[in-house]
Amino acid sequence: MAHFNKAFQFKTRSIIVLLTVFGFQLTAQNWDVPADKKAKNSYIKFDKTTASEGEGIYTKNCASCHGNPSKGNVLKSLKPTPPDLASSGTQKLTDGELFYILNTGRGLMPSFKDVLSESDRWKVIAYVRSFNKSYVQVLSNTDPTKSDKVKVTMVYNHETNTVRVQVVAKEQNTSLPLKDAEVLLFAKRYFGKLPIEKGLKTDESGVANFVYPKDLPGNKLGEVELLVKVNDEVYGEVESSTKLKIGIPTDKPGLTQQRAIWGVLAKAPYWIIALYLLGIATFGVFVLYLVKNLFDFWKKGQQ
Amino acid sequence: MIEKEEQPKKKTRREFLQQLGIVGIGSTLGGSAILAALNYDKSKTDSQRIRVLTAQNELHEINKDDLHKVLPSKHGKLTYLQQQGRDGLEGKRFVMVIDLSKCQNARKCMAACQNAHHLRPEQHHINVLKMEETENTPPYYMPKPCQHCDNPPCVAVCPVDATFKRQDGIVLIDNERCIGCRFCIAACPYSARIFNWAEPLNAQVEKDVEYNVELNVPQKKGTISKCLFSADQVRLGKLPYCVSACPNGVYYFGDENEDTVTNGTTKETVRFKKLLEDNGGYTLMPELGTKPRVYYLPPKGKTVPFNEQDREEASEHLHHS
Repeated sequence: MAHFNKAFQFKTRSIIVLLTVFGFQLTAQNWDVPADKKAKNSYIKFDKTTASEGEGIYTKNCASCHGNPSKGNVLKSLKPTPPDLASSGTQKLTDGELFYILNTGRGLMPSFKDVLSESDRWKVIAYVRSFNKSYVQVLSNTDPTKSDKVKVTMVYNHETNTVRVQVVAKEQNTSLPLKDAEVLLFAKRYFGKLPIEKGLKTDESGVANFVYPKDLPGNKLGEVELLVKVNDEVYGEVESSTKLKIGIPTDKPGLTQQRAIWGVLAKAPYWIIALYLLGIATFGVFVLYLVKNLFDFWKKGQQ
Repeated sequence: MIEKEEQPKKKTRREFLQQLGIVGIGSTLGGSAILAALNYDKSKTDSQRIRVLTAQNELHEINKDDLHKVLPSKHGKLTYLQQQGRDGLEGKRFVMVIDLSKCQNARKCMAACQNAHHLRPEQHHINVLKMEETENTPPYYMPKPCQHCDNPPCVAVCPVDATFKRQDGIVLIDNERCIGCRFCIAACPYSARIFNWAEPLNAQVEKDVEYNVELNVPQKKGTISKCLFSADQVRLGKLPYCVSACPNGVYYFGDENEDTVTNGTTKETVRFKKLLEDNGGYTLMPELGTKPRVYYLPPKGKTVPFNEQDREEASEHLHHS
């Protein structure tokens, strides 16, 4: 048994060493993570609970390429080969870097920004970190319980064609504008959220101005539901939505409204109905003409 | 003597036995007559019994009086699911965009589709084709679902109004109405339709499942089946099965009226017309005037090499000199 264990350990170790080499190769390719993103930390504590929650998300979204961490069963047919996430190449990255990679994706790796929520993305990192015994987490200053205090207002300016988003925190009778908070503006669509411009940062008065596209269709009344996502260092993630009458009113008829050649009789085009009736009438007149001629023959014969 | 004659008549034993015999024989005869009459009546009702064929194709014999005519439902001759499936979603015009530069022949879309619509392994609503147009052009993979044409030739030829177009643009087939004539297969220029030649995969398990026209489940032998744009999913605001199963971000799906499409893999939402404009989007066989609702982006800037074994298959039709 001990012998088996040893052999197993050796095997895993050699795989880890191998993957570390791979991992270094990958990290050698620069991910170009901006400094502020690199320093970002999670507001979710990495412990057994979050790691096991993250494992579920990982199995569903990541395992098909990255395999099970420390097992070395990555999808080797891909180029570049995705790294085993338990390898030191991955583990030496900061939480912020891992988070950035998860958000942006690169090459064959898709972005998970719109697929997983922020907390789910941190949980995946919690799971990945659970394979690193020497890892010590640095929590961010964010207090998720404070997010209730944040108020978001959206106003559309017709002259400048901008949506003014103001983010204010209500703290004991005083309202405090949030400076340098990340603001994302989306228009809600049937299947997803359409980002309006890139993300902006709020100024001293907690304001971010988004240039709104003039040609975006709304509903029948021209209403568009806007969704704002605010991410602040202290107050965490806040979402707010409003319906504004800023879209192009869209009321296109259903595709079966018009008469068409492929429709049932009730929907057949008028020219087909007319042509058909004309054909029947022509045939009828022809038959009557024949009968009349035959009758004339018979009459002449009688004479 | 005279006194004797005046005595009231007293029944002798002989007379009593005589009368008893008469009554006995009479009642026996009467009883058997009634019994015969009853038997006669019974034989008469037997001829009133009729044979009926059930929907499960079983022959039953029942009394004519027990026969009740089934009144048509609230929705006319259609079930609720059929009517809902025919109407479609108001104010929507669904479109799909397939980015050929990203397809790596993972075939997850095909598997998800077969799983959702309970298809046999050899049946496909969506198929990933291996394409090579000329000897000098590079080969590529092309997923091909039903094009959900705005001018559908298949609907035009259907003699029983089984296949139909909805207001949201989706073309469906009602397997309850289909008579299996296969005119639509002949009419479709995209070879998007399949025929259930054999008993469907889960025929035994699903024999009591209510038919859903937006899912084509349960499938029916001797009828057509085709890609449905996952009409059941779309009704719930979810992306089609194939779209969300793709691991490579090939598919975009959305509403043309909203001018946005959402990628099934990254869930990234982009402007529909801009996506086509920036990438040179096109439709298949536009010269036929079928006006497809499936758009393609050309296989430009592919990073993954084409599989060598697939290459032979892709170039089969080319004349090598």
